Amino acid sequence: TKDGHLSGSDIPLRSPAIACCVLHACKNSDVSAPRCQLVELKNGETYNGHLVSCDTYMNISLREVICTSRDGDRFWRLPEVIIRGNNIKYLRIPEEVIEMVPEEDLTKGKGGRGDGRGRGGKGGRGEGRG
Amino acid sequence: AVVPMASLDLGSLHLTGTASLAEELDKRLLIVLRDGKKILGTMRSFDQYANIVLEHAVERVIVGKCFSDVPLGLYVIRGENVVLLGQVDEAKDLITTQQLLRQVSVDEILEARAQAEEDRKLKANLSRHLSKTLAPLDLDS
Repeated sequence: TKDGHLSGSDIPLRSPAIACCVLHACKNSDVSAPRCQLVELKNGETYNGHLVSCDTYMNISLREVICTSRDGDRFWRLPEVIIRGNNIKYLRIPEEVIEMVPEEDLTKGKGGRGDGRGRGGKGGRGEGRG
Repeated sequence: AVVPMASLDLGSLHLTGTASLAEELDKRLLIVLRDGKKILGTMRSFDQYANIVLEHAVERVIVGKCFSDVPLGLYVIRGENVVLLGQVDEAKDLITTQQLLRQVSVDEILEARAQAEEDRKLKANLSRHLSKTLAPLDLDS
């Protein structure tokens, strides 16, 4: 990060955003078991559908969606839904997906990139103050 | 398959900010959300926003002295909804679930929760009506 601390990218992390993209890949490869998932929004509504796509902001688009109101008493069936990422509380995804997260994300080289930047930055700023 | 980062000694790194979550990887956590939900699960991954992937997630619903663990599967929680999280102390968890609380079925707890919610709404309505009809207390005279 800018103030010279070790940032998240310095450590090989497994990003949940990648889980979304993996879901998408699974959807294409395994048609017999389409990725059906549940999304609960901050306002309590739940959307059940097949994930079509997602992006780094967690915006997602779903197809064949069943929307349930907060109290669970009203239902809508919608052919397609786009949800802005900031409205999401959580997503429930099929358990098989965790096996399919590519391991190379762990050692993507983020560690190497981050090291020099982090230590160099801290040193430079400290000298200026001193 | 997912491989835990056992080779890294994260404790010695003194990580700041969200990176400190790395110490909690593959551990069983209790996460409290802004809407009051208590979710238990094994944290498999996280990112700079503290979005969390939880495996074998369970929602612990507690009503009075009864509780039930509602199985949820694989969960991705958006970081901004998290109030706090922490590692589950298995010994304390055992005491809680076996001595302090009584475990009931999922259907029973959901019904109890709905009932408690109804009671709470009734109470709120009642106190609102009461505050309107009763004359305000004159404490200065």
